[in-house]
Amino acid sequence: MNTFFHISPVTASILVMLFPLLAFITQALLGKKAISGNISLIAILASTIISLFGVFLPIWNETTVLQKWEWFTIGQHTLHVGILVNNLTALMQLIVCIIALPVHIYSRAYMKGDSGIHRYWMYLSLFCFAMLGLTVSLNLLQLYIFWELVGFASYLLIGFWFTKETAAQANKKAFLINRIGDIGFLVGIALVYAHCGTLDLSALFGQTGTFFTGVDMGIIPTLDKNVLWVTFAGLAFFLGAMAKSAQFPLHVWLPDAMEGPTSVSSLIHAATMVAAGVFLLCTVFPLFNETVLLVITIIGTITALSAALFALGQYDIKKVLAFSTISQLGFMMVGVGIGAWDAAMFHLTTHAFFKCLLFLCAGAIIHEMAHLKTKAELDFDPQDLRNMGGLRRFMPKTFICMVVASLSLAGFPFTSGYLSKDSIVITAYEWANHLGGVYVLIPVVLIIVSLLTAFYIGRIIFKAFFGSFKYRTYIKAGFTLHEAPKAMLIPMFFLAAGSLFPFFGPSPVDYHRSWIMLTLDTDSISPSLAQAHLFIPALLTAGAVLVWLIGWSWYVKQKYPLSENNVLVRFANKQGYLNEFNERIFVTGTLELSRILYAFDRHVVDGFTRLFSWFVRRLSVVVYWFDKHIVDGLVNLFAHVTYYIGHLVRHIQNGQLQAYLGFALTVVVLGILYLIIK
Amino acid sequence: MITLTHFLVVSACIFCIGLYAVLAKRNTIMILVGIELMINAAILNFVAFGKYDKVNYGGQVFALFAIVLAAAAVAVGLAIILNVYRHFKTINPENIHELKD
Repeated sequence: MNTFFHISPVTASILVMLFPLLAFITQALLGKKAISGNISLIAILASTIISLFGVFLPIWNETTVLQKWEWFTIGQHTLHVGILVNNLTALMQLIVCIIALPVHIYSRAYMKGDSGIHRYWMYLSLFCFAMLGLTVSLNLLQLYIFWELVGFASYLLIGFWFTKETAAQANKKAFLINRIGDIGFLVGIALVYAHCGTLDLSALFGQTGTFFTGVDMGIIPTLDKNVLWVTFAGLAFFLGAMAKSAQFPLHVWLPDAMEGPTSVSSLIHAATMVAAGVFLLCTVFPLFNETVLLVITIIGTITALSAALFALGQYDIKKVLAFSTISQLGFMMVGVGIGAWDAAMFHLTTHAFFKCLLFLCAGAIIHEMAHLKTKAELDFDPQDLRNMGGLRRFMPKTFICMVVASLSLAGFPFTSGYLSKDSIVITAYEWANHLGGVYVLIPVVLIIVSLLTAFYIGRIIFKAFFGSFKYRTYIKAGFTLHEAPKAMLIPMFFLAAGSLFPFFGPSPVDYHRSWIMLTLDTDSISPSLAQAHLFIPALLTAGAVLVWLIGWSWYVKQKYPLSENNVLVRFANKQGYLNEFNERIFVTGTLELSRILYAFDRHVVDGFTRLFSWFVRRLSVVVYWFDKHIVDGLVNLFAHVTYYIGHLVRHIQNGQLQAYLGFALTVVVLGILYLIIK
Repeated sequence: MITLTHFLVVSACIFCIGLYAVLAKRNTIMILVGIELMINAAILNFVAFGKYDKVNYGGQVFALFAIVLAAAAVAVGLAIILNVYRHFKTINPENIHELKD
């Protein structure tokens, strides 16, 4: 085995990203014949194996390897493409592979029979290729290219059912909002290049890089991180990450992106796309100064809180999960903002497993609901939580998986989510304690959000799996709901195992002993507080149990205290009216502006042109008249005079010999008369 | 007595008749006749003025030459008229206007 894996990590990581690319090209060439998905599956399987044995194991905790090749030269500046394999990138690449693999297996069953399945596999491979390429890019520009590819592939996948109007709108929205972030990213790249003259990630942000050590590369003498352009560049990079990782207020595309197939949602939410933003921030972390970090923390907190609130009011099972993702991404952002990007990466990893699992479970439920809908010829929304209930009797294995994932999301002990969430909340508390003052608000908000998280995920479980099924009369009539097929259950079980603590560390309670935290370990600026490690997890766990009890009495015991038209419920359901706000301000505003511009164009610009053309036409009429009557007239006058003179004398030359003689005689007579008279 | 003036008057009359014939006749033969009349008017002038040369009779000798030349000219003229007739099938000068441009 070792002989096979003696290829260098760089070659291996290139192979990892090449396999999905090959799968994409093959399927693009095969067209409609490639419906089995085997090509994509084999490609991602190969990538996973190589990523684990060829890249991750040799690199993890060992060394950083990079290789670069000259790309192109403009003037004096040469740009390189390359592969950078260090702890962070190898981990990220492995996560992408490990999450993409179950999703591929799951998709084979989930997407079976779809008329556009050949496109599905093609896009999925492209998506994986883009994300895998993004993780190991050495050059910021190269990273940007993959970044755009990820955006493009997600655009294709979100709008996979493009004949549905909502899906077409959703992928347009996702693409447009991501453009805003891409501008930020591009500005950041430009700023860094203008000031440092290189886009090489290792030269900029590596252990000996410009930003890490503050030592120059001969261009700028010493790098003061508090200068204005560093702040701007940091904010620009963060703007890029905000759009990709769905941070408030640019998160609006993510709930709408639920229009794509559920398997795609799980991939987008867990490992690709939204993770790219967090990954970017972790990669360029040394660039951020305190101002930028504070902005990141605040935005992350707002995102976590707002998304958790919105998740409470959603009825669509996938939208609840979407807001949950946004909320958890807020946590990761806070992790980056407080300087604990290792905790952010840790949470990203654990979140990838349990969020992917949540989506796959939701997909299984939706699958069965849709089945019932078509079989019983009913008309209801298969994603609406209000139509579900009591499903645990029909789908016990899905129920178990969902519960494991939910506990992990809520941060219950013995799950991976407990470790990673605590790592962020505790570090945030220590950070706030160190700084004091209003900074304490941030961990407090995070704790509240954690409790809200527990509540809304409990709500899903209670509404979908407990209580009584809304269409039970149809069950009695012979229609039934089945457990998900084996091809869907196996990936789910795998992910459920990944959502438990042994996957990440030996201790169920101490996140410091997790292998990810041990390796990525960042120096904490704030002192460790022993009591925080005790009371915060206890508070979170006790709180979670408490809110579940409330949820149990509300949703299972039917003691719901709020009316459906309650202002707060409606506010949460409408996502804080953010979409309406955007619609009013940006869409209508743009339309109004364009209407005004149109009117200006039409009446002022066109009017001026029309006036000018009218004037020119009038002038030309005058000139025409002058030309016709004066210039031509003069010429014609000469011509006519000449003609009439000619006409007068031409009668003389009539060919009559006698007339000629007569004229000659006349002239002679005249001559004689002249002689006589003279 | 008959003076030189009388000759000249007669000669002028004949010349004018000839000229009229040349200008006005609608027959080429008659034009030729007109030309002959004009030549004869000139010959008459030669003879009349010949009285001033009683030594050599230059005028009368020249008249003889002129008569001979006139006869020759008539011959040539008639030949031309004959060819014109063959070509145009007419000898009316009004119908012959090839000189016109």
